[in-house]
Formats: sequence, C-alpha cells, structure tokens
Amino acid sequence: MRTLRGRALFFVPALALLAVFVVYPVVNTVWLSFFTSEGQFALLGNYGEVLSQPEMFDPRGFARGFPYGALVHNVMWIVIHLPLTAGLGLVLAVILREIRGGAIVKSIIFLGMVTPMVVGGVILRFLFDGNVGILPSLMSIVGIPRRTLTAYPDTALFSLILGSLWLWTPFSMILYSAGLETIPDYVYEAAVIDGASPMRAFFAITVPMLRPVTGVVITMTFLWVLKIFDIVYVATMGGPGGASNVLALQMYMYAFREFDANSAAVVATLLMLVALAVSIPTFRSVRGEQP
Amino acid sequence: MMRRKVVFLLLTVLAVFSLTGLAAEKKLTVISGWSGPEMDAFMPVLKEFEKETGIRVDYQIYRAEDLAVLLPAQFDSKTAPADVIFMWAWFINKQAQNGHVLEVTGALNESDFVPGVLDAVKSGGKLWGAPYTGKIKPGFWYRKSFFKQHGLAVPNTWEEFVDLCARIKKLPGVRAPIASGNGVGWPLSDVTEHFIATFGGPEMTRDLIAGKVKWTDPAVRAIFENRLAPLLKAGYFSEPIEWTMAADLWWAGDYALFFMGSWITGMVKDPADLGVFALPGARGLVFGTDYAFVPAYTKYPAEARKLLAHLATRGQTLQVAAGGHIATYTGAPLDVYPPVDREVAALLRGREALPDLDDTIGGEWQPAFWDQLKLLWVSPDRVGEVLDTLQRKAGK
Repeated sequence: MRTLRGRALFFVPALALLAVFVVYPVVNTVWLSFFTSEGQFALLGNYGEVLSQPEMFDPRGFARGFPYGALVHNVMWIVIHLPLTAGLGLVLAVILREIRGGAIVKSIIFLGMVTPMVVGGVILRFLFDGNVGILPSLMSIVGIPRRTLTAYPDTALFSLILGSLWLWTPFSMILYSAGLETIPDYVYEAAVIDGASPMRAFFAITVPMLRPVTGVVITMTFLWVLKIFDIVYVATMGGPGGASNVLALQMYMYAFREFDANSAAVVATLLMLVALAVSIPTFRSVRGEQP
Repeated sequence: MMRRKVVFLLLTVLAVFSLTGLAAEKKLTVISGWSGPEMDAFMPVLKEFEKETGIRVDYQIYRAEDLAVLLPAQFDSKTAPADVIFMWAWFINKQAQNGHVLEVTGALNESDFVPGVLDAVKSGGKLWGAPYTGKIKPGFWYRKSFFKQHGLAVPNTWEEFVDLCARIKKLPGVRAPIASGNGVGWPLSDVTEHFIATFGGPEMTRDLIAGKVKWTDPAVRAIFENRLAPLLKAGYFSEPIEWTMAADLWWAGDYALFFMGSWITGMVKDPADLGVFALPGARGLVFGTDYAFVPAYTKYPAEARKLLAHLATRGQTLQVAAGGHIATYTGAPLDVYPPVDREVAALLRGREALPDLDDTIGGEWQPAFWDQLKLLWVSPDRVGEVLDTLQRKAGK
C-alpha cells in the first residue's frame, strides 16, 4: 500500500498539468456554451442560435448551390475524403510493396504528410490558381478553360478536399504498409495453391486481415477532417461567400473575429461530442482485441 | 576556499550585470503590413530615426487582418509585440477605450496636418494615434503606351467607359479589360466603394458607414445590379487574382485596366507610363490614411512617442519622395513628390476625400464584406443574396 502510494505521487505532476491544460478548459468551454455573453443560463438556447446561423447550416444551398454551411461542408469532406484516403492508402501500400523502388516512392509520397498544413494551404492556393496552377494547366490541355478553382463557390471546397488527399493519404499508406507486414506469407501461398487470383486474395485475405488497421485509419482520418482548419484558413479563408467554410474555421471566426466566446464554445462542444462518439467505440474495440 | 567562493560570486554578478547592460540597449520595434517594394520604401524612414536618435529600430511585417486577431489577446495579457504598430483607426480607438493604447496628446501639433485627419484617432478629447501618409484610390490605372498602341481614349461618360471595356475585350492577347486584384478581398472592396461613391455620391458612402442606409436599400441595390454586376457578367473584370500577380500581368499587357491605390506608382518600373482615370462623374475619392499607435505596454514609452512623432512628420516627407504616398503632414513640400504623384494628388481637386468604407466600419463586418465580394465577382447573379448577407452582418 505504501509502495503504491509512493508510486502514485509520481503521477501528480502529469495529472496537475492535465487538470490545468485539458480538464479545466474542456469543462469551462462546455460551461460557456450554456451561458449567454451576459452570463445568463441559456441551456440549449445558444445551440439553437448557432445551428440556425447560415454560416453553420444554410438550407438555401440545396436550391442554389454552395454554401451549405460549415456543418454540411464538413460532412461532405468526410464522405468524400475518408473512403478515398483509406482506399488510396491501401492500394498504394499493396502496389508499392511489390515493385522495385517502392520504398523510395513511399518516401516521396510521405512528403505530403510531413509538410506543415499551413504550407500545404499555401501550396494548394497556387496549385489551383488559374494563371500559374498545375491543375488548371492540365485541365486546359483537355479543353477545360483555365480558372482558379478555389475562387468559385462550386469548386472551392472540392479543390481543398482534393488537395487534402495529398496531405493525408501518406498516413493511411504508412499504416497499411505496416499492417501488411503482419500478414504471414504462408496465407497467400496457401491461397495461390488453392487457385486464388491476386484480386481474390486481396479481397479475401488482405482486406479482412487489415480490418483493425482500417478501423484506426478511419477513426484518425475522421478526427483529422473534423478539425480541419489551417489549409482552409490559408487557401480560401472559408470563401468565396462561405463556400468552403468548415466547423473549426467557424469556431475561430466566432472566437477571434466576432469575440463571441459562447458561440465558439458551442461549436467546440459539438466537435468534441462527435469526436468522442467516433473515438470511444474505436478504443473499446482495440481493448477488446487485446489478449 | 572562502575567498574563491567570494571571487566566483563577484565574477558571476559582474557577468550578469554586463549581459543585462547589453540586453538593456534600447531598441524599438515597428510593425506594419508593408513588404517587398513597399517595405523597401519605408526602411529609409526608420533609418533616419536611428541616425537622429541613436535608437535602433527593428521592423516586422504583419498583416492588419492578422493583428486584429493577435493584438487583443496580447493586450489582455498586458504585452505587446511592438512599440509602434500600424493599424486601422477603428481598431486603435477600440483598443484605446479598453485602456491598451498610450495617449499621445501633445506629441503632435494638430495644425501641422491636413484638417480633420487626426479626428479618426481622437476620442474623449485625447489623441491615441498618429496619421502617416495616405493613399488615394483614384480609379483605373492604365499604361499610356498601351492606350496609344491600341488607339484607346480615357472615357468621359459611363457609356464611353462601357464601350471602352467592350473594345478592350476584343483586343488579341488581352484576357479581360480589367484585372481584379485580390488579397483577402480588399482590392475588390476598393472597386466596389468607387462605384458606390460615383453613383451614390459621397453621401451614400458616409450613410453606409454610419448605418443610416441599408445595403438592401433600393438605391444601393441599383448600383450593384445596374452598374457593377453587368460588367462582371460581361466578363469585363477578371476573376480575382492575387493583387501583386495581377499588377504584373496588367503591366505585361494581359489586362488593360487595374483599380488600385496610388501606391502603385512606387511599384511599377516606369511611373511616367502610368495614367489613371476615375469613373466618369465621380464626386468623391477614397483617401485612406494609415495610422499608427503606441501600445500602453511598451517598455520605452518616451522613445516610442518620439518615433511616432518622427513617422508623422519628417517620416512622411521621406516617404512621399519614394513615390506612391500622399502626405497628411502639411510640412511635406510639394517638390519632393514624384511628378506622377503630383498628378494623382491633383485628381482630388474638386472632389471630396472619403474615408475607406470597410476600414472605417471594421469589426466582423469587414471580413464578411471582403468574402461576399469574392463571391459576387465570380457569381454576379447572386448580387441580391450578397447584399442581404451584408445587411445581416451590418445589423449585428
């Protein structure tokens, strides 16, 4: 007992830091979200007001086009980015495992992961520029008129999503590469003996055996997309006309442009709840698989 | 042993004091958003102060949009990133109300400046900042050689202006008649303000600033729907391009006209080739003054006030000589201006000097204005929605 107490003392500094820099801000933020700027208790009043703002959800978008509101934009980002990142990462990991020089190609692809997001945003701004951008240049070769893709409401968000693939796919590729090393070779050998084609082996062996890795990739990608901020801030600032606005940027706007801490707290709390809803089942499933 | 300890202690104390003495060398920091050629033109002003006073001055670049977010948080923790900071007048006044700005009443002689220019940074009978040079946003710049080559003429009526755009659009090698410079959105706002000042008059500009007229008012809507949007729909304006890139493309002949402030005269290779015209009928032009202030948390208040006074007086004389600036300090002699800037200053004759609309309103409305204009430029059919959003934001 005395030994246990003695050991527990070593946790105190870390717990103190956690309490001050994590627990207190989280509790305070959630608390703020239930109060008005005058200090009156509003229960879910702030939530109703924030969610009714066109910046958060704009149903008119379904009739006229972008913007749809930051909430819908984040959902779009998740729906498009997540399967593409996971799928592309897996395919790249499988292909680059087999070819000569695959390690070098993986290193080049990994550059996207180590590029700071702010720098990534600047790169995207010029990548899609109508005058100097590579993508509009390539598009003009096939007859599509050059235009700055991030300047138009109907293409701004999709441009950023496409650009973010370059920044995050290396993450899933690396995880899948590591996961592939855990699949024993004899499983594939047995499949070959049984007459399975490479495609059949991929879907019958590789994909099922990489399920735990896929779970991690999906969760981490989901959380990353949920809090995406820097590339949007630098590349478009959420424009034009809010067409590429996202939740984290809107939270920033509330907090540091409008100085409305209560509305920012609402967005932060919503983000936290969604993140918990996704990450808790993942942690549980990982614990469940431990011996 | 004891003696060694004492000697060691004395040496340590001496070393610490020496380092402290070195560190205590006075150094002031100035922050503004000028970079590239604008920064190059500003540095001699700071060097002159260093020469006169022996106080070192460092310069840092921060955009005003970023400072608007950074400074309140720093001020709340009673720190400041610089001793003299260039910011919008509305921001200086707001921070002064919160006690974050050093009062500089008495540092400047009001009669030495253009009448009324100090009012923007005065409140409660106290002076909170100093004016620096101003820039006129006179209209559409063009290269005289380009106009001569293609037989084009400066328009005298609105119809002639539209006709000019139509003619330029047909010229081979020209992407669009007018280059739309863009940053966070402010060059687009300059164009818009010029249309408002021309077709709504100086009164409409002032009424919009004061909130006496709504953005959804029929008279305001008419300017957007009948003047600006048709030009955008006809493709007479390019899509928004990063403004320094737009300036290069315009100078190279990809575009014929470029709406920009008078600082452009200090940025082009051959200012003598520059011509400018306002929209026909313009009764007011935006004269945007830059302002600077001293945060209350400066370590060197006396020196910072001295630097501020230098910038507002002698500094302006040095700055206008570099081109692209118009002095608000009446002590700057006319003969220091480059010839093209004298022409620009002459454009104000017979016209009213107006405050910059979005810089004056400021707050959260300003970035919303910029963002909505970026949408309007590429989707001019959504003009109604843009005006509704601007009014909703203005009402907050």
